[in-house]
Amino acid sequence: MTKMISRAGSLLRNTTHKEQIDRELTEEVSSYVEMLTEEKMKNGMNEQDARREAMMEVGGVEQVKEEVRASRTGFSLETFIMDLRYGMRSLLKKPGFTITAVIALALGIGANTAIFSVINGVLLRSLAYANPDKIVMLWERSVTGTRTQNVVSPGNFLDWQKQSTSFEHMAAVADQRVNLTGGRGEPEEIKAQLVSDGFFQVLGVQPFTGRFFLPEENKVGNDLVIIISHELWVHRFGANPAVVGQQVTISGRPRTIVGVMPPGFHFLDNQVKAWVPYALDPALDYRAITGRFLRVVGRLKPGVSVQQAQAELTGIAKQLEQALPKFNTGWTVNVLPIHEQVVGEIRPILIVLLAAVAFVLLIACANVANLLLSRAAARQKELALRAALGAGRMRLVRQMLTESVLLALMGGVLGVLLAYWGIQLLIGFGPDNIPRLSEISIDLRVLAFTFGISLLTGVLFGMIPALQASRPDLNDALKEGSRGSTGGRSRTLRNVFVVTEVALALILLIGAGLMIRSFMQLQSVQTGFNPENVLTMRAQLPKKGYPEPHHIVDFFKKAQDRIAAVPGVQAVGAISYLPLTGLASRDGFKIIGQPAPKPGEEPGVEVRVVTPTYFQAMGIPLLKGRLLNERDVKETRVLLINETLAKRYFPNVDPVGKQIEVSWDGSGPDEIVGVVGDIREGALNKEPEPAIYWSHPREPYSGMALVVRTSGDAARFGAAVQREIRGIDPEQPIADVRTMKQVIAKSIARPRFNTLLLSIFAAVALVLASVGLYGVMNYSATQRTHEVGIRMALGATRADIMKLVVGNGMLLTLIGIGIGVVASIGLTRVMQSFLFGVGATDAVTFIAVSGLLIAVALIANYIPARKATRVNPVIALRYE
Amino acid sequence: MNDKKADLLQGTLDLLVLKALSLQPLHGLGVSNRIAQISDGTFDVKPGSLFPALHRMEEAGWLKSEWGESENNRRAKFYSLTKAGRRQLEAETEGWERISMAMMSALRAT
Repeated sequence: MTKMISRAGSLLRNTTHKEQIDRELTEEVSSYVEMLTEEKMKNGMNEQDARREAMMEVGGVEQVKEEVRASRTGFSLETFIMDLRYGMRSLLKKPGFTITAVIALALGIGANTAIFSVINGVLLRSLAYANPDKIVMLWERSVTGTRTQNVVSPGNFLDWQKQSTSFEHMAAVADQRVNLTGGRGEPEEIKAQLVSDGFFQVLGVQPFTGRFFLPEENKVGNDLVIIISHELWVHRFGANPAVVGQQVTISGRPRTIVGVMPPGFHFLDNQVKAWVPYALDPALDYRAITGRFLRVVGRLKPGVSVQQAQAELTGIAKQLEQALPKFNTGWTVNVLPIHEQVVGEIRPILIVLLAAVAFVLLIACANVANLLLSRAAARQKELALRAALGAGRMRLVRQMLTESVLLALMGGVLGVLLAYWGIQLLIGFGPDNIPRLSEISIDLRVLAFTFGISLLTGVLFGMIPALQASRPDLNDALKEGSRGSTGGRSRTLRNVFVVTEVALALILLIGAGLMIRSFMQLQSVQTGFNPENVLTMRAQLPKKGYPEPHHIVDFFKKAQDRIAAVPGVQAVGAISYLPLTGLASRDGFKIIGQPAPKPGEEPGVEVRVVTPTYFQAMGIPLLKGRLLNERDVKETRVLLINETLAKRYFPNVDPVGKQIEVSWDGSGPDEIVGVVGDIREGALNKEPEPAIYWSHPREPYSGMALVVRTSGDAARFGAAVQREIRGIDPEQPIADVRTMKQVIAKSIARPRFNTLLLSIFAAVALVLASVGLYGVMNYSATQRTHEVGIRMALGATRADIMKLVVGNGMLLTLIGIGIGVVASIGLTRVMQSFLFGVGATDAVTFIAVSGLLIAVALIANYIPARKATRVNPVIALRYE
Repeated sequence: MNDKKADLLQGTLDLLVLKALSLQPLHGLGVSNRIAQISDGTFDVKPGSLFPALHRMEEAGWLKSEWGESENNRRAKFYSLTKAGRRQLEAETEGWERISMAMMSALRAT
């Protein structure tokens, strides 16, 4: 007890009266030396010898003092604070080194944390459903393998549901755009999903408030209920809990809100804002009246594997194929785990990004290691001096470690800021079709991981020089002329790091270069239409106000006429699905007069419904025959085909006048009256598919996209055009008012995002690698001042010196580039799947990128080299 | 340390210092000389180990120190035993005797 109190008192004294204690200690030890000297003199020595012997016996006043300090309470805290202060001071004294190292670390930590967080959020973290590994998507698959994820026929779905035993629940989902009136604001077109009974049980979720649909609400007549998304609840209903039980109008019919989903809940499409019951009638023969359009999802029973479910459904599909050959020949089932469904498509790019950030982290670490090694070499004399003054080896190692850890901490703090900001940026820039991007936040485990890596780098490469320097040959290190020689080993290590950095940076640059080339190719694709000055928007007419086809046709005709009258509007048309929005109708067809293909092997065709003026509005040329006109109503039975269809199926004959039959509703063949130019329908990187165009009266779609060609900036016409539509029907919502250029930009948002990310990484890598190169070259140039002086004194010209120094650095660069090119040839192959119009080993990219890196390396080498040639030989020789 | 002189066992230095101070207060050199004297020159404690031990034991509360005048009128720091120090001396002496007896009998056993 007394011991503890006494210790506590000492700690207080040791830390508060440090200077006084130190003074007393000095006095005590020197008085010891004095008394010992006197003793020896008494024994007959002269004063000089006595003093020398006394000193030797004591072994150095400072060493004794250091030993005493080390035995004191509070020693470690005290030295830690001292090390910290000293470390801080010495870091501040070399701001160039410190800033470079901190930024390198921050970039490494920040970029990694941001990207890992995104990847972790999208790829690795489980879906927000209960036991998501039990949830599977069920698609129809063509036996030929051309369509692996085809939407499902309601008839087939009902049979799967009835006959299979592998599933706890199986549910069908159909997408729909509906008009919502109620809550705050104007009527609004929203995306909704029709969901059959059991849908929410399949996903295993709970409502945020309210309830799910009751089984009896999945019957026609009882189904006037709706569940809304959390987002819609907040934005349109002010997060009012009393909303449950309220009525809203959905496409003209009243529905009661029974529940609100939890935040972030969605199924395959995060734009969906409402769910309504889908009453499928088992008594109906769906196969006779409609095609394939459902998405089906199921929850496996415990103990049933995906393979077992696949086997069972394949059997069922086989029976359905035999029982209904007309409809099902060539069709089977594809069972796909939901996780695979959600992330499968973007996995390659995520893996590439993951590799990219790993490379950046490696480069950052190599950079910091190099900086620490160079710095330690430059500080050898300082360390030797401290060792001579009594600093123990542990003390020196601790000092070096404190500095590296301090560095890592500063880098870490900046890195966290960078990561936070980076994630915001990623979410902001990210296309909204990356699944669950918005659900991502900074991941603490990831942060801990990257931070740990950087800390390890700091500790490891702070330690090596500390260990080397803490047992130097003091005499050698302190000698005036010796130029801190950590020996060849350390230099080799630094060269290896530089070569590695250059190689990694080259790989990243090539990756980014390929992405940029691919993106440029994508942007220069000929779309087949003229997107300049075109405004587009959607209107989805509700069944209530527009029950009959002629109401719908009239509405769009009136709308076109009114918009055409707006000053500055040059042409107005409408189409069922706008190109490049990813929406399409597809069906099989056959050519009259040619042998009929087997059922299930009919060639496919894109089906588009247009008003006659669509082609003028979009700027699509007529190649043969005539366009559609006002007189082409349902009974006229005519259509247009695109150039691809004409070339593929009428290679040697004029298609105009020929007849083809689209399966559709089985109402018979149509006559081809004209051929129009191809356009990129599905995506910029997809070759045009065979397509047909029907007139709007022939297939009166209730939802159409209006296309308005204007004389100037199309965006300015938005208000005027919407006013005209409201003039016809003030209740009618108008959705997706965008210019065609915006539509195109959105369709390539994901490749743009990926290109941007990889380019940022490559730029960071380039900066880090050139900083690393510069650091090493600058260091070695400084080390060689003496040598340069001698060479110049012996007659070497500036150019010779320049060649010598630059040549050295460029050799390292070229080795790095060589390794990088070889590695890239192997690695970029994984990128092939998302490159467009450029090969993974594109020579142009490889050469251009290597050239860029060489140019940057030349600059990084030139600056220290120039400094070396500015050396005055006389001063250089006298130097040190 | 001189080859002929015995290495100090871990912990024995404390006991020697306590013993050296048991008669009268001494300064550092005095402690060192006294230890040499009572061990017939076997133990020669250098300042590098002596001072850390003195300061450590002072912090532990076994010793107290004050500045005074040496025989030759030189300012020196004198160490003396506290009550706790005396108790520690007794306890350590007892422990040491037990150990040395045990060692002795162990070494004599055949």
